[in-house]
Amino acid sequence: MEMTNPTTNRQPQRNLSGKLLILTLFFAPAISFSQDKNKPTAPATLKKLTLEQLMDIEVTSVSKRPQHLAEVASAIQVITRKDILQSGAKTLAEALRLASNLQVAQVNSSQWAISARGFDNVLANKLLVLIDGRTVYTPLYAGVFWDVQNLILEDVDRIEVISGPGGTLWGANAVNGVINIITKSSRETKGLYAEAATGTSLPGLGSVRYGGQLTKNLSYRVYGTGFRLGHTVDSNAVKVNDDWSMLQGGLRLDWEASDKDVVSLQQNIYNDRPNPDATEKSLIARGSNVVTRWNHTISDRSNFQLQAYYDHTFRDFRNNFTEDLKTFDIEWQQSYEHGHGNQLTYGLNLRMMDHKVTNLQLFQFLPERKKLYLYSLFLQEELSLVPNRLHLTLGSKIEHNSYTGFEFQPSGRLSWTPVKKQTLWMSVSRAVRTPARIDRDFFLLLTPELPFIGGSESFKSETVIAYELGWRSRPREDLSLSVSTFYNTYDNIRSAEPGPEPFFIPITFANGVKGKTYGFELAATYQITRSWNLRGGYTFLKKDLKVKPESRDINAGRAESDDPQNQFVLQSSVEVLKWLELGTLIRYVDRLPKPAVPSYTGLDLRVAFKLGKSFEMNIVGQNLLDSRHFEFLPSSPAPRQIERSIYGKLICRL
Amino acid sequence: MQVVMSILSHFIQRLSRTVWSGRYWLTILFVLSTISGNAQNPSLEYQLKAVFLFNFTQFVDWPAESFPNNKSPLVIGVIGENPFGNYLEQAVSGETKNGHPVIVQYYRDEEAAKSCHMLFINLPASDKRKQVIDKIKEEPVLTVSDASDFSIQGGLVRFVKKNNKIKLQINLEACKELGLVPSSKLLKLADIVEPGKTN
Repeated sequence: MEMTNPTTNRQPQRNLSGKLLILTLFFAPAISFSQDKNKPTAPATLKKLTLEQLMDIEVTSVSKRPQHLAEVASAIQVITRKDILQSGAKTLAEALRLASNLQVAQVNSSQWAISARGFDNVLANKLLVLIDGRTVYTPLYAGVFWDVQNLILEDVDRIEVISGPGGTLWGANAVNGVINIITKSSRETKGLYAEAATGTSLPGLGSVRYGGQLTKNLSYRVYGTGFRLGHTVDSNAVKVNDDWSMLQGGLRLDWEASDKDVVSLQQNIYNDRPNPDATEKSLIARGSNVVTRWNHTISDRSNFQLQAYYDHTFRDFRNNFTEDLKTFDIEWQQSYEHGHGNQLTYGLNLRMMDHKVTNLQLFQFLPERKKLYLYSLFLQEELSLVPNRLHLTLGSKIEHNSYTGFEFQPSGRLSWTPVKKQTLWMSVSRAVRTPARIDRDFFLLLTPELPFIGGSESFKSETVIAYELGWRSRPREDLSLSVSTFYNTYDNIRSAEPGPEPFFIPITFANGVKGKTYGFELAATYQITRSWNLRGGYTFLKKDLKVKPESRDINAGRAESDDPQNQFVLQSSVEVLKWLELGTLIRYVDRLPKPAVPSYTGLDLRVAFKLGKSFEMNIVGQNLLDSRHFEFLPSSPAPRQIERSIYGKLICRL
Repeated sequence: MQVVMSILSHFIQRLSRTVWSGRYWLTILFVLSTISGNAQNPSLEYQLKAVFLFNFTQFVDWPAESFPNNKSPLVIGVIGENPFGNYLEQAVSGETKNGHPVIVQYYRDEEAAKSCHMLFINLPASDKRKQVIDKIKEEPVLTVSDASDFSIQGGLVRFVKKNNKIKLQINLEACKELGLVPSSKLLKLADIVEPGKTN
């Protein structure tokens, strides 16, 4: 009657998984769960998960966009909630320092320059950032105001950082990379979370979140957070008054309407007081947004997602110049599995941005109010040429925008898995940075009749064609490695062309710069022991930008970026005792060429004491190796240095 | 900078030592050998279910009388077609519950299944399933199945696929009658069903 006997041999190594596991869990349903249907996950791996986590793994391969094989076969790095908490990061921008494939530089208390694969600048415009599916983007300069992108880091599920073009899936602006910030479902954030922190460059930070279950299928959370971040110092180490404070609150509802439908609704509202110019009056930025999403499973092989959001943001520069932006966006996307592991994904997106400024006499956007429309369609087919071995992904986004009309962003990607857990991939893709209002509609005047700098009607989209080759490997449960190399050719990068003689004004924007960048990104995670995790990465970037023959760019092609050639990140997290955690974050950033900033090494240390089950005390020291250093010199405002700092935080989880 | 470089070189050395160690090559060999032969791995769904079954051994308490002595095994039985391959065995290998080693047994008939502690019933035919449940319904056996009418038939735990994820339904009253005590942690995450009342 008994057919076989149970095995009784022991598995000595069964606890070696932790970090990779989280990686697997979060971004890799596509890596090792769904994509590799024939490759089982080690039981030891799954056994480390809590019941809750087990219940949260998707069991079929109907992958939504972020889990695509094609994206896994790309230069993606994932920062998990745990990585963030163990780093001691205070703000979202600080958390992004954990991605070694990003250039992240703090400019002053509230401003950051963040980019991928170069072109870093306070007004960096080649990176697309999404928070829970909402594009955070101002058409003013095609970039991100980082000071209004805040959330409680405790509730972040993960941050996916993709370096390299993502135009085919994500649309315009994903020229050099995509940052996809995803917060937890309210099903996973039940109970009370409260934190309070203070320190040498953090006068105060406090957050409260409460989550629960309204009915069996409907969960919620509400939160409020506020902080005042301290000042930086000027070149002579004299304190400047650039403190930044902000208040934000919001809620999230997640409703499992049926076995096949999940609906979520999120709303955030904020009031922000950054002061980058260190003047008497802080800037005022306030806004609110609401996102709703419906995921429907049509069958085991097909699903769709419908998402709509509204985002209003207002910024008063306190010199009578204001910006008011209302964004309406609706997006539909469906994916359909067919044949043996082939998958077709397609979608439509409509966006309207109602952008309005109040002009100054000599500083103008014309017209003051402009409605920008964006329509796009994308189609992507993932072909399984040899099941589980060789995949080809072909796709394109076709986008229509108010400035340049139709834009095409195709890509092709081949991934080859010769043996288990080793993937070699290569891709060719095209992406565009469509004109922003500053390129087309901006005028800086010397007198009401005499323009000094002017946007240009003929400003076209900047383009990149990127060639990538990468390798991703997980030779052991506790080790993952990846290498991504890239060669990008850019054309039509923004230049500033002098006007006619004798005064060479007005200076107008044109597309006079072209060139190439190349380099590589190494990343690894390694779990040395059960309680000791290492993750790190190294990025090498070389740029060769040239002014085109017809251009007389006054900045000689250098205005758009100031990037380090080498950078290195290493994070170590150790659970020394049940109640004691030690975190270390080392960053090396090479010198910036022009404006010149010396290289620096940042060292952050975090010591966390768990006081019983519910309380935790953190002491975090940041930038410990030098008393102060520059990270980026903006053209305006004046350069600031970031000081060594220390803060303490008390956390309660009930 | 020098500090960083020395840390970096140490890190790389350490990494290269491990990568090129014998274990790494053993892994590669193992991987290569499994690619060709082993096509019958369970789907992710059944991998997860196997791990759930293991978890139940830790989150449910059985009456002391169900163990002949304090060294006798806690038996997970599988009846019907085995959907787990040897994954379930791997999952429980080396595991214990209060000193009782956890083992897996496969059954063909329900009479033998009476002696196990947990029984995964993988019988598509409803009447066959009913037959098994009726046979062992007096014994402290945690019955588990995917079948949609499992609770009504008197089964105790059911795997429910919801939005592509695996959720649990527990017939708590029936568990209690048999002296099986699911932990509060398990109950918090599962749907409690009372088939007697609702149907």
